[in-house]
Amino acid sequence: MARLIKLGFPLVCMAWSIIACSKYLAPVKQQYIQYQVGDSVSADSAYIRYYLPYKQQLEAEMDRVIGHLDVNLTKGDNAPETLLGNFFADALLAEGRKSYPDAEFSFGTKGGLRIELQRGDITIGHLFELMPFENELVLLELSGQNVQQLAQFIASTGGQPISGIRMKIKDNQPVDVQIAGKPIDTSRTYKLLTYDYLANGGDNSRGLENPVNRINLGKKVRETLIDYVSQQTREGKHINTQLDGRITRN
Amino acid sequence: MEELHAINRRNFLKQAGSLAALSSLGSMPLAAMANDEHVSLTILHTNDVHSRIEPFPMDGSRNQGLGGVARRATLVERIRSEQPNVLLLDAGDTVQGTPYFNLFGGKVELELMSKMGYDASTFGNHEFDNGLEGLAKMLPYARFPFLTANYDFSNTILKGKTRDYIIFKKQGLRIGVFGLGIQLDGLVDPNHYRDVHYLPPIDTANAFANRLKHDYKCSLVVCLSHLGYRYSDGQVSDQVLAANTRGIDLIIGGHTHTFMPQPEHIRNLDGEITTVNQVGFAGINLGRLDYQFERQSGKKKLVTAGRYEISERLPALNG
Repeated sequence: MARLIKLGFPLVCMAWSIIACSKYLAPVKQQYIQYQVGDSVSADSAYIRYYLPYKQQLEAEMDRVIGHLDVNLTKGDNAPETLLGNFFADALLAEGRKSYPDAEFSFGTKGGLRIELQRGDITIGHLFELMPFENELVLLELSGQNVQQLAQFIASTGGQPISGIRMKIKDNQPVDVQIAGKPIDTSRTYKLLTYDYLANGGDNSRGLENPVNRINLGKKVRETLIDYVSQQTREGKHINTQLDGRITRN
Repeated sequence: MEELHAINRRNFLKQAGSLAALSSLGSMPLAAMANDEHVSLTILHTNDVHSRIEPFPMDGSRNQGLGGVARRATLVERIRSEQPNVLLLDAGDTVQGTPYFNLFGGKVELELMSKMGYDASTFGNHEFDNGLEGLAKMLPYARFPFLTANYDFSNTILKGKTRDYIIFKKQGLRIGVFGLGIQLDGLVDPNHYRDVHYLPPIDTANAFANRLKHDYKCSLVVCLSHLGYRYSDGQVSDQVLAANTRGIDLIIGGHTHTFMPQPEHIRNLDGEITTVNQVGFAGINLGRLDYQFERQSGKKKLVTAGRYEISERLPALNG
């Protein structure tokens, strides 16, 4: 219900009479004046006419089906590993590797994934809602020590979207952290795909602040997801993300 | 739903005490009181509209059906037809939040605000989401100024494209409006505000309020703020700003998406009242504050304050 609730001063001090006495100025009680709802007042059609072409363009784009999901991609209830997280991190890694084949693992944060996706058609609009931000992919070369710090962040926050890396969480600490099937080697560096928000210190993530090297890919995360789904469709595949035990908690 | 709206009675009384006993006469439109001795001013305001061009979709969510520019436009026009002096102001984050921004980069939002006759806005942090280049691209679609007194853009491509303040003249009244933005560190990608110099908000506010009030003799000084209503950690907020400045009559706030049940009246450094108001986000509400000025003395008072909820049915303003 639309209405203005307006505070009106009761007719304490009528009109312009000069009554220099606060007693007369003191409102007896608060009086709310509520304007009635009018049936005849509607949206200004000139404004709708103005934005309609944009809306049509936008809807046509948003409704465009680019793929198919066989499972509901959920955020899980505090689960360390989730279908939505796996889909997201797998997409980042697969698409990032097209430009940088030596990228070894990917990392995002669950807070950045804004909706769950339901099985069925995947539209551009779904991916806009999942990732409304304009974040862009970043490739970071990290020391083994920094990877270990990142693993600690992931463990201490109960698991985050990752791909190419596996770990167990014990007492909020990471154990058995593995990349490409091998434990973290602190004498070498690793290449991580993530995005600028996190690389710049967002979500209080740790381990990313002093990379050996950083490359901004200039590609939006959302576009990356769109490309990933489109690629699957071109290959005749549906998205059928599974849990694979990449993060477990005990 | 009966939120709202009051004014600080004690302050009202204090100010009104020395005046002829004015009254809003119940629901009588203020325009009816306009005469040679008194001038009224209606300030309408939004904040954090976040690209909400259309109402929220009817999907069962909390805000379904609320907001939308076309209905806000009707409402604003109604009020303009009833009130002689209206200012329509916004406190930043006009963009980001729907695909209208992702696809069209802010053009739709700013053209619609221009069409609606917004008088001024300020930059929120989300105005920087497409970098200074993105901002520079969308600014030409605004036929109103962005007031950004504490962002120094002089070493950037935005140099000269925003203003610190503006003075509106209404029936001989001068209303000074300046804008303050939030510290961008940690909120915005550093590449998106490179070479922008952030000036301390309180010092900046004091300097401009002083100038507007004393040098330019403004009867009302308004700050469009994207600092946020309040914080637990002492970060500069509208509350902190109000208490630590002189000469600001009204702070129209944003950033924290606060649905204030009523404007808050805070005593400033001079012991005078600075009013703070903020109306949620997404254009769900339109805020309204009605002031009345005594022409001779320049004395003013806040007569009424309220807010409209923009929903499928609009109020008939004359009841």
